[in-house]
Amino acid sequence: MGILIDTSSTVLVQGITGREGRARTRLMKEFGTNIVAGVTPGKGGETVEGLPVYNSVAAAVKNHGQIDVSVLFVPAPLVKTAALEAFSEGIKLIHIVPDRVPLYDAMAMLRSARKYGASFIGPNSLGVLNPGRALIGMIGGNARSASQWFEKGPVGITSRSGGLTTSTAYYLNRAGIGQSTIVHVGGDSLIGMPHPDIVKLFEKDDETELVVMLGEIGGNQEERVAECLMNGEVTKPVVAYIGGRGAKKGTRFSHAGAIIEGGKGTYQGKVDALRDAGAVVVDDIMKIPDAVAAILGKGK
Amino acid sequence: MKLFEYQGKELFKEKGIRVPQSVLLDEADSIEKSELPFGFPCLVKAQVLQGGRGKAGLVKMVQTREELLGTAENYRNRKVSKILLEEPVPYTKELYLSITVDPLNGKAMVIASAEGGMEIEELAKVRPQAILKESFDSRFGLYPFLARDIGFRLDNEQGKKIASVILSMYEVFTSMDAELVEINPLFITGTGDVIAGDAKVSIDDNAAFRQTRYTPGREYYDSEAEYEAAEEGIPYLQFDGDISLMCAGAGLTTTVFDLINYEGGSVANYLEFGGPNYRKAQRAMELCLKNESKVILIVTFGTIARADVMAEGVVNAINTLHPDRPIVVCIRGTNEEEAEKILKNAGLEPLFDTEKAVKKAIELCRREDHEHIH
Repeated sequence: MGILIDTSSTVLVQGITGREGRARTRLMKEFGTNIVAGVTPGKGGETVEGLPVYNSVAAAVKNHGQIDVSVLFVPAPLVKTAALEAFSEGIKLIHIVPDRVPLYDAMAMLRSARKYGASFIGPNSLGVLNPGRALIGMIGGNARSASQWFEKGPVGITSRSGGLTTSTAYYLNRAGIGQSTIVHVGGDSLIGMPHPDIVKLFEKDDETELVVMLGEIGGNQEERVAECLMNGEVTKPVVAYIGGRGAKKGTRFSHAGAIIEGGKGTYQGKVDALRDAGAVVVDDIMKIPDAVAAILGKGK
Repeated sequence: MKLFEYQGKELFKEKGIRVPQSVLLDEADSIEKSELPFGFPCLVKAQVLQGGRGKAGLVKMVQTREELLGTAENYRNRKVSKILLEEPVPYTKELYLSITVDPLNGKAMVIASAEGGMEIEELAKVRPQAILKESFDSRFGLYPFLARDIGFRLDNEQGKKIASVILSMYEVFTSMDAELVEINPLFITGTGDVIAGDAKVSIDDNAAFRQTRYTPGREYYDSEAEYEAAEEGIPYLQFDGDISLMCAGAGLTTTVFDLINYEGGSVANYLEFGGPNYRKAQRAMELCLKNESKVILIVTFGTIARADVMAEGVVNAINTLHPDRPIVVCIRGTNEEEAEKILKNAGLEPLFDTEKAVKKAIELCRREDHEHIH
């Protein structure tokens, strides 16, 4: 099991003929992801890494049947239309790697996803990795390191920082603790699937025994996870780390979020909300393996 | 990108929102000779991007030309380049209006209050019930009836005029890819005029490719280093402590920042050279050296950004720039064994633990302080 992707998920790559598209397609394929085709308008008929390229998502769907996930490697200004194309062809999950996607485009994608009953991860997401099975995006860099660094196990990781996602998995592995799935939700203020959505998926996943959440100041994703713990929607243990403790008072990281929530979004506010809800909050990322081991009852 | 007040008001005027009569003074303009069509008293407003200008003494009411000259000179000494002189508005009521994005549902949102003047965050803490929020689907635009409804809830008499201000703000919002358009205060005068006292417009940086009217020049930044970093596309924040951070990845940089504070150290600058910038070690180090810092701390953990490439970049930077202060390196990730060799060959002592690296940097700062005392 694990969440979002597995060996059986059929995957499309939009923007497959670009430099990033090609390089990451190889990574995903070598790792074991079931990529069936790619799309680049105007490049239909070519092949990349042995995969057929189509001019449109519709043509890919026509030739390959249902596609579960589309991974976007198109330039930021084109992300919106690529996503709307995938949604309208019935693809229910999109992964968006590019950063610098305009906020208004992200708003339009969110409205569209809701209309089609679909979701997206990102923008500005390094990827999702189900150890030993499948990955989408560019997490791990190359297939060899991605296979070595991430081992299967009981911990689900959800993170707002790409770098911390991989380093936390690395330190957990060093402590002999594997992961069910690793999700980088993306660093932007408006993202398709924030922490609470991912934590709820981990709640339903048989393989996940515990969730590690790597949060940050600003916005209210972490507070909403605390609410899920409070109202019983999430019952599995949560170990959390919040970045940005050292930020001085008055530093504004997320203007709109700060206004809407009236003072929420601070380091202390997040830590208090999570602790009140029964989560374990560590003040140093290096303390995560010990905290996880203590809950899982495993010695180091 | 945040716009200056005068730029925001320029946009407001174009969309039909009334703003006070004003004169904008450039650095080169002589204040003695400047014509004031509205005379005295007059508001002298420093055009800076920081909030809380009133408290910082950067907005002042003056009664005479002498007072005006004194205030302007004071602003110039504080490195303010543009000054807005404005006719004071005799108001009977101050409102708050803003349009922003609700990241939870991807909708646009009007935030309003009949109790303007105070900062909205402050108001949200002390009187949250005085704040109105209405979100709407930007695919269909802002319906005039919704704007009118908000207008009349704010003021029974001037509801229609307020509604037209809200609709004009929405035009600014959408046409500029704005994250925030805010008027605080919006004045209502005894004669029923509705006038924007201030203007805050913040444009989505990611939309810069299609929003080219305003580009951030030197005056948008407090320091040379911040400006150069922005030009280079390197994320950079200026502080005034001892340790220059040169890290890769926003999350890791924030973590190192936190750790330094936690361990009792202080940060001179936050600089991130990860992702697309991972080959820019030399430029990054140059920026760090512009600070009065005592130590440069380099911490990276790269999977795609290769450790050996970063190590090589750091060594080249050291050989070219000959930094006058100690450097602590902690470079990990893909090809870290190779990176270790490169660093050791260059005479550096690489560390592999973030916490140890932070502690070493702090210790080096203390040693430096100690030497200075003796």
